[in-house]
Order: sequence, then structure tokens, then C-alpha cells
Amino acid sequence: MRSRRYLLRKVLQAAATLAFVLAFNFVLFRAVGDPVKLLIRSSLRLDPQEQALLREEFGIDDPLPQQFVNYLGDSLRGEFGYSFISGRPVIESITEKVWPTILLVGTATILSTLFGIMIGIKGAWSRGSAFDTTSLLGSLTLYSMPEGWLGMILLITFAGTLGWLPAGGIESSDRLSGFAHILDLAKHLVLPCLTLTLGYIGEFAIIMRSSLLEVMGEDFVQTARAKGVRDKDIRRKHAVPNALLPTFTLAFYSVGFILGGAVLIEQVFSYPGLGQLTYQAIDRNDYPVIQAVFLLSSATVILFNLLADILYGYLDPRVKEA
Amino acid sequence: MRGMRRASLALGLAAAVVTGVAGAAFGQADEADEGQLTLHVGAIDDIVSVNVFKACCTADYEMMLLNYNMLHGFSAEDLSPVEELTPGCEPSEDSMTWTCPIRDDATWHDGEPLTSEDIAFTYRFILDNKLTTFSDYLPYNPTFETPDATTLIWHSEEPTIAPTVPPYIPILPEHVWSELDGKPAKEIRAFEQIPLVGSGPFQLTEWKSGEFWRMEAVDDHFFGTPTIDEVVFHVYGNHEAMVQALNSGEIDFAYDLSPTLARSLEGDDNIEVNVQAANYHTNLAFNFGGQAKAHPDVYGTPPATDETNHPALHDHDVRLAIAHAIDKQALVDTVFQGFAEPGDTFISPDKVFWHLDVPQEEEYAFDPEEANRILDEAGYTEMTADGVRIDPESGEPLVLDIVSISNSVGSARSAELMAGWMEEIGIRFDVRVVSESKAYEEWENGTFDAYVWGWGGDPDPDFNMSVYISSQCLGWSDGCYSNPELDQLYDEQRQTFDREARKEIVHEFQQIHYQEIPEVVLVYPQTISAYRTDEWEGYVPTPSDGGGLLFGWRTDSYMNLKPATAEGPAGGPVADEGGMSTGLLVGIGAIVVVAVAAFVVMGRRRSEEDEA
Repeated sequence: MRSRRYLLRKVLQAAATLAFVLAFNFVLFRAVGDPVKLLIRSSLRLDPQEQALLREEFGIDDPLPQQFVNYLGDSLRGEFGYSFISGRPVIESITEKVWPTILLVGTATILSTLFGIMIGIKGAWSRGSAFDTTSLLGSLTLYSMPEGWLGMILLITFAGTLGWLPAGGIESSDRLSGFAHILDLAKHLVLPCLTLTLGYIGEFAIIMRSSLLEVMGEDFVQTARAKGVRDKDIRRKHAVPNALLPTFTLAFYSVGFILGGAVLIEQVFSYPGLGQLTYQAIDRNDYPVIQAVFLLSSATVILFNLLADILYGYLDPRVKEA
Repeated sequence: MRGMRRASLALGLAAAVVTGVAGAAFGQADEADEGQLTLHVGAIDDIVSVNVFKACCTADYEMMLLNYNMLHGFSAEDLSPVEELTPGCEPSEDSMTWTCPIRDDATWHDGEPLTSEDIAFTYRFILDNKLTTFSDYLPYNPTFETPDATTLIWHSEEPTIAPTVPPYIPILPEHVWSELDGKPAKEIRAFEQIPLVGSGPFQLTEWKSGEFWRMEAVDDHFFGTPTIDEVVFHVYGNHEAMVQALNSGEIDFAYDLSPTLARSLEGDDNIEVNVQAANYHTNLAFNFGGQAKAHPDVYGTPPATDETNHPALHDHDVRLAIAHAIDKQALVDTVFQGFAEPGDTFISPDKVFWHLDVPQEEEYAFDPEEANRILDEAGYTEMTADGVRIDPESGEPLVLDIVSISNSVGSARSAELMAGWMEEIGIRFDVRVVSESKAYEEWENGTFDAYVWGWGGDPDPDFNMSVYISSQCLGWSDGCYSNPELDQLYDEQRQTFDREARKEIVHEFQQIHYQEIPEVVLVYPQTISAYRTDEWEGYVPTPSDGGGLLFGWRTDSYMNLKPATAEGPAGGPVADEGGMSTGLLVGIGAIVVVAVAAFVVMGRRRSEEDEA
């Protein structure tokens, strides 16, 4: 009964946040003024009649309440209109760009979670050792380092100076197919993925370390020790599973941010994902695209937060009691 | 923890597999590329669409230039009209009918012959479907006649020089576009086709949005057959990455660099920097008011708010004083780091034939003392408590509301510097930085005193001149400037067929514009490119004196480039030739992964043993 109430509460919270984001998104993009005006002096050279047609097409000549109703309906149906600039349906651009981003951010999240957890466990278990000090210092340095800057340094070193890796893009323009194409993709993935992994890894290591240190002081660990359980088993069976919870949440949150794209890193490495799409849309005042990306990325974050909350509740029943 | 160890092992294994096959796979890629002469060009902007009616920016126009032909081209010397699909059109006595012989050796990329009917179709298509992108080039309701496949007759309702301006309109294949005739503009603008059928010396055959677009050379084009087989334009998210790609040899040409990066390339033996004569100007454009009057005619509604232009801006002395108080050289040095020229007239110096070079002694020298003298003599002697002059007529202090545009290069910084100089002469610039859309709102309602923006234009001066015509209030005009003398000169030049005589009028127009100061032309920013000299040779600047090499008005560089003789064959990415082999690189990556995994696993074992 209690768990059902917990679930309901979390779902309602998420729905409320989503409703707020939906409304906020509507207001935000109406506050920037009439987007059709942007096209007057562009090379499209639209005269007032054409502007009126466009306003009608974008549905911004209706009264605001009517616009809001239309907007809600369209958003729920996944219809985000057409790009002001390219004229393509927004959802088409997003579908095309989402996979490179999932590949990049997804790989980086998995790598940084795995390595971060390993480093964190090892650091905490051998607290005060040379490894612990070095890894903690390294983690803090990486955690606090601006990702864009780190990316630029890697780019200048490995692409510009050494010429080992490509300076950008997701693939070369050579006509490759099959396995050669996959490897070409991998080659282009190395630098942006390395940058993101290094950027995330510190966070995971630090959280894992502190969480494990906390658990190591708990009574049940002491009890296990008193019972004479082997150190290895205490760590593996008692301490780490309990300490993994915050890291698990963090990993889930990170996945939620995938759709937001790694705007900065994709821009640094000219990686054609959602981040690049967002940047270009902002640069060209392409409001339908910005609006859709904003909405979808917020919705993903909310969804994954909800999933994390629900799963957390099951993994650690104390949360549900609270 | 067992799971963790398994993950480490899996990672190590995966890396080892990658190492094993990488070398061979990349070997294949290199082989596949062999023999193909590819020019790799780096650019910041991607094409927006392959549809010419969506053409927006430099990249779109370059694609259009290579993929299509126009009635006339532009000369290498001074961008005057030269033979392309026609050797030249002949006017009737009243200049209302022009006869253009059309060449018979032009073909579409799909093999169909290009005839005069295609040209007439394109022009009609634009007019009938109200495609405003190009309709300005077809004034006075023209009609077109094609007595045979090699003759185009252009009828105009009024005397015109439009056929020789020339119209910057890519000629489209009727057999492809006719099915769109009569459809809504939205549908026409959404039409996309790859490979893109045109008649130009290169054909767009592939476009990966946000990555690259590929243009393949066409055999036996009437321009000739280029040595290069294809051009690939790579899109970079930032200038730094593009320069690094140039450094490593991934690309052969980098278009549009920041001054700082251009300086960083100085001293590299294999890289040459090209500074292109400016093709646009930045301005401080004054608002003269009149938007409220024009608004109902243009939009059918009164403006949302009242216009707010300062009455003193109608006083020539105030504008003259402002012109004298602006240090254009300082704008060049600080805002554009030297990569610009101080501006004088509104037709930029790359249009060598039309540009009026104001003699130095007639220029408004940076002279705050002179500016103060002018204002004193004009009666602006009373000051507010904080040192701002008061307009004797209206009693309002000379506090001007200056709008600068956030995404217009140098706009905000220039406005800021000018505000400092204006303090010296008792004028206050209240600078606001606004987004482009907000700026259009201000422009439409006339709620500003001046803005800092800019204008570019075609090789022909007609468009640039139209900006200062009375009828352009809420059209192209910056601040509804009106001067009957300029209106008359504009109409006159539109109907003057002798090029030299027309040039006289265009110069007179510029002279009056310079004296009357509807805007202060601030600077002509230059475009910087860089290219590798060890890959290709034979770049041709357009115009020939100080022009750009690519992204211009002609295809000369693409037609003329040959592999650099000193270094052997070109085209392949240097990274594959001189850099560390990919196999080795992936190997190193794998070793690092395995090492880290081993380190963690072994470290844990050791600690377990210690604890045991």
C-alpha cells in the first residue's frame, strides 16, 4: 500500500514538472517576439503578404489561448512544426541527430560509470594510500575542469599537432562501407568520447568513494568484520552493493541528460548530434527547433528522474518509508 | 565485484579485437580513395538546403555557383557582367526588349540539353509563384519569349537594364521543376533533390547535414574540365577545429578564420593566409522617423508603439559632428584586430568598378575638436549638469538611444567604443545590445535613434543603392531616410545603359550619400582564409586584385587547381600519409584500456592478498 502511494506521488510530481515545463516553454518562445520578422531582411526577402502567410502557417496569428491549446495538442502528438530555416519537419531533424548523440554520450556515460566506480571503490577501500590520494586529486581536477577547454587541448594535441585523429565530424567523407565504416566512426568518436568520459569520471569516482567510506563505518560492516567474514567478501557482498546506490542514481540522471546533448563538446568536435543541432538553431534563431529540443530534453530528464526515483525506492526500501 | 572484473576483461577483449582488424580495415579505406583527386574545403557554415529558394548564406551561394549557371557571369577583373549562358543581350532602341542569344553547348547534369526555354521558365517560375528571393532581379513585370532553343527575348513594361545587371538567378531545369509550378511557395521551398540537377561545372551528389557536402566535377563542361575530381566541403563547429584540420592536412582550405587564428598560422611554410577585399560594410545608421506613416501601407496596421527618433538627428550638423567623432582606424585595430579597412562609402571596395574612393582630404577625419566646433557653431551650446549638449530647437539633451545587435560581428563593441568618443563632444550614446529579432521590432516601430549593423550586396550596386530610397521606408531602408535627389539618381541609373555613364550616376549617388550622412559607414571587414601550399596550386583571386580564392563570384580556383608539383599527388588526407597509422593508434588505445583494467584488477588482488 505504502509503495503504491510512493509510486503515485512520484508520478504526480513528474507530471506536474512536465506540465510546468510545457507551459514555460510556450511562454518563453512567445516572449522573444515575432519570429517571422527575422525573415524580412534575410535573403528570403519576405514581403508583408508572405509574412502574413508564414504567421498563419506557424499558427502565430491566432489568439494566445488558442495558440496554447494548439501547442499542447501538437506537443503531445509529437508534432513540432517545421524549421524556419531549412523548412524540414523538426521531428525529422531530431530523429536524424539523436543517434550520434546517444552513441557519444551513451558510450561516455558507460565508460565513466564503470571506471569511476572502480576508481572510487579502490580509493575508499585503501583510504590514505598513494592510489587514493592520486586518484582523489585526479578526480577533483577532472571534475572541476571545463569540458570545452579539455576538449580543445585534446583536439590541438591529437588532431592538430600529432595528426593522429580527425579534428572533427562523425565520419570521413571517403566512401566507406561495412566494417571500415564502423571503424571510421570509432576513430571519430575517440576524442569527443574521451573528453566526456574524463569529464564525467571524476564525479563518479568521488561519489562512489565517499559513499563507500560512509558505508564502511556502518554497524553491519562492523558486524560482518566481527563475524570474521573475509575482507574481500565484506566489500563485495556488504559494503559495495549498499554504497552503489548514489552512483546508480547519478548514472540514471546522466542518461536523462543525453537528449540535451553535449552541446559544448559536440561543438568543439563538430559532432553532428543534438548538441550541434541546438547550437545551430540558436545561432540562426530557428525557434521551432529550439523549442522542440528544449521540450524533449526536459521531458527525458524528468522521465529518467522518475525512473531513478522508482527504482531507488525498490532497491532501498528505506526511501519509501521516508 | 565479479561483474566489474568481467567488464574489465570484456573491455580489454573488445580493444584487442579492434586492434587486430583496424589496420587492415583502414588500409582498405585508403585504397578506395586512391586515384581520386579531392579538394577538401573547411567551412563553419553548412548549407541550409539544396533548394535555391532557401539559399541563406555563403555556403548556399557557393553550392549554387558550382551547381548551376546563370545568364551572365562576373568578370575576374572587376565583377562586371560577362558571358555565361549568353555572350551578351542586345537592347531594342527603347530598351524595353532585350534579345539574348543562348549557347547551344550547355547541358543539364542528367544529359538533357539546356535551352532558352529553361531560362524563360526559371524567370517565369519566380514571378508567377511570387518567390521573393530572386524577384527583385526581374523588375517592371517582364515577359519572356523563346522563338527557338538558342534565343531568349526579354520584354519589359519600362526601359530597363535588368538583363545586364545581371540577374543573380541560377537557371533551373524545366523538366525537373515544372511539376512544382503553381504549388504554394512553402512546397516549392521544401523541394529537395540529390544528386541536384543543374548545369554547372560541379554537381552536388551527397549532403550529410552538419558533416559535409560533396560536389563532383562534370565532364566536358563549357567552362572546361577541372583537374580535381570532386570538392568536399567539411563543416566545422568552430574555427579552432578547422585550423587544426588544416594544420594536420585533413583539409586543404579553411574559409573564414578569426584574426587571432590567422595570426597563429603566420610562419608556417606550408600554409598561406589570404585576406579578401571587404564585401560588406558596418554602419551607424540614423533613424529619421516616418515608420508610423509607412506602417499602415506596408502592414495594414498602425505600429505597436510610437516612433521615438531624436529630432536633432534631422540636423546635418549633428550627424557631421558624430562622423568627426568616430575613430574608424581604432575600430579597425581593436574591434577587427586589423582585418578591416576604415569605411567611407556604402559600396564596398571589392566592387572596384562602382566603389567611390573618397579622397583623404574630403574624408571626415577623426577630430573631436572639429566636432565640438561644429556643434558650438550650430547653437548646441547649452549643457545639462552632466555635460550633455541640449538641442536648442526641441530643448532635449543629445542623449541617443543606440541599438547594437548581439549576433552581428563587432556591433556591440563598436557601439561601446563610439559611446566613449561621443562623451568628448557632449553627446551621450545609451547603448542597448539586443537580439536580431528584437532589433527588427525596433526597426519596424522606429523606436531607436541609430543602430550599429551592416549591409552586403551584389556585384551590381542597384540593391545597395535601393536601401537609401524614400519608397524603401520599412522595406530595405535602415531609418526611413528620404532624399528626392537620391530617389531621382536611383531611377536614372536603372535606365542608363552606358556602363560608364551609369558609373557617373552611381558615384554621384555615393558622393551625396557621403555628404548627407544618412549613416556613417564605419569599416569594411575583411574575410580571412588559409590554404595549404603543399597540396594544391593555382588558386585564382576574384576580383583579381585582392579578392577571395573560394566562396566568391567565380569558379576559377576550382577549375584551375592542380596538385602541387613539389610534393607529389594531393587529395588524400595527410593524416593517413604522414601521421601515425590508425592501426597503431587504435593499438595504443587498446593498450591503455587493457592497462587501466589490469591495473585496477591487479591492484585489487594485491590489496586482497594484503588483507588476507
